[in-house]
Amino acid sequence: MGSALLAALALWHVPWRQGLARPHSLYDHSSAAAIAPAYALLTAAALGIPQGASVVVRAEPPDAVLEMWYHRFAVALLPGRRALPSALYGTFLSHEVWKDAEYLVVVGPKPSPAPGHLLFETPQGSVWLRER
Amino acid sequence: MEGASWLAALVFLPAVGSPLLAHRSFGRFPFWSRVVLSGAAGAALISFSMTLLALTDRAWGVALVATLAAVLASGLRVLLRGEPATSPPEPARPDRTERIAGAIACIAVVAALLATLGGAATSVDLVFFWGAKAQQFAAARGIDLEFLRDPAHQYMHSYYPPLVSNVFAFATMAAGRFVWTAAALTFPLTLAALAASLPGVLRGLTSARAAAATSALIVATLACIGSQADIAGNADMPLYLFETLALALLLRPDAAGGPGDLLAGILFAAAATAKVEGLPFAVAAAALALWLRAGTPAGRAKAAARLLGPTAVALAAWFAFGLSRKLFSAYSEYGRFFDVHPDHATGVVAEIVKSIAATGRGLAYLIPLLCLVGSGRRGRTAAIPLGTAAALAGFLVFTYLHPAGDPAQWIGWSAPRVFAPLPVLFALAAACGRDA
Repeated sequence: MGSALLAALALWHVPWRQGLARPHSLYDHSSAAAIAPAYALLTAAALGIPQGASVVVRAEPPDAVLEMWYHRFAVALLPGRRALPSALYGTFLSHEVWKDAEYLVVVGPKPSPAPGHLLFETPQGSVWLRER
Repeated sequence: MEGASWLAALVFLPAVGSPLLAHRSFGRFPFWSRVVLSGAAGAALISFSMTLLALTDRAWGVALVATLAAVLASGLRVLLRGEPATSPPEPARPDRTERIAGAIACIAVVAALLATLGGAATSVDLVFFWGAKAQQFAAARGIDLEFLRDPAHQYMHSYYPPLVSNVFAFATMAAGRFVWTAAALTFPLTLAALAASLPGVLRGLTSARAAAATSALIVATLACIGSQADIAGNADMPLYLFETLALALLLRPDAAGGPGDLLAGILFAAAATAKVEGLPFAVAAAALALWLRAGTPAGRAKAAARLLGPTAVALAAWFAFGLSRKLFSAYSEYGRFFDVHPDHATGVVAEIVKSIAATGRGLAYLIPLLCLVGSGRRGRTAAIPLGTAAALAGFLVFTYLHPAGDPAQWIGWSAPRVFAPLPVLFALAAACGRDA
């Protein structure tokens, strides 16, 4: 009886409402859903940013806490590239730390003015080749 | 397709553990229990082999790691020389209770699978460090010191025990690429492995009916907590598998002796090298099992060596690596061991209760506890799971007392997961028979 109730509770947690549609990311319905757009964008960015390139991930509008998480995602989801942090432990880092980044991934609306040449955009954000 | 090959690479785990589990003394376990026990032992041996190779500056390769692990498994058979053959319980047609329990366990595993595929159970720690380290280590064909020493990668917790990142790196080398979805699917896969193996292991402790019912309760509990506390892809589910099987082995009447102790010892080593809290679990469970046993001091010393020797050797290799590379020297992140803040105790306990109550409405912890209370007075062996539960809870509260600031946020995202072994231990204690 108890096992059945717990199995039912586990079933209740399944995101049935999305039906058979594939989620955009592994985090769409998890407690970390807030960072799901960054996961989806960086997964897409992995196809457009070449191996060996340096990259920084920013939030739009800028947010030191989110950008710390995004940097961690970039380290994992952009293997073979050099992910430079723009923030650590909720504090923005000096621009000097990431000024040499060749690519910029922006999670959120397109920044203005344009920070370089737009490579592509998705509903979650945009990927740029920076003008340095 | 790459996801399938990444998961298929995990078949190496039971394959390398099989030389040990093929020993005639393990004939007491049914087929699927033996396969999963081989896989659990194989994970411990593969991880140990990778740590040894890193320690000796040898590059990892799939064939080299698998061969070394299989050789170690074969070597461990020497310790079982002279152990008699055993056979599994007579197979019987499952009765209605067993069939219902089996169906509930299947539903729980399917729920975990659907939650993971639906993006509702994935751990952020998978991307933050377990997967990130595995991917990097696989590319570097070893533990990448430069990567771990980068100040921007401090959150990778370089001292964290190596088993999960090692095994994930092994699968990545075999598949040619790290596959995030496949790594997340290790949650339902490992839960399915537990569902397939636990009834057969518990069968030595209790009736087929009670073994099936207890297994269903444990699998449903972990599916419920795991989905709601987002554990897919992190080290929690492998830890639960190792701990549950090791403790179930210790509770069997035939536990005492070479094969049972050695296998439980290897599973304890797997737990202690999967997560930090695996070590207090292993030490507490082994100490309680030894305390309850009759026998000469020499016999107990031998049993202690079998139960805790593998953990000591595995952790010695890991700390030798950390010390020799000046990477880490202890589990040091939360301050000095006795540097605690007892004034936080009330708040810590209140936060733990709050976070547990918010996970599956607290039912995943409450139902196994009610089963234990409802089962009445248990035999002496119940002291092993109950004492281990007390020791683990004490260790976790002690750990939460370390931060100088408010640990509420830390407790909020970790307590539901790290306390999950407690309901499992309650269910196992409820399955222990009464003393004659």
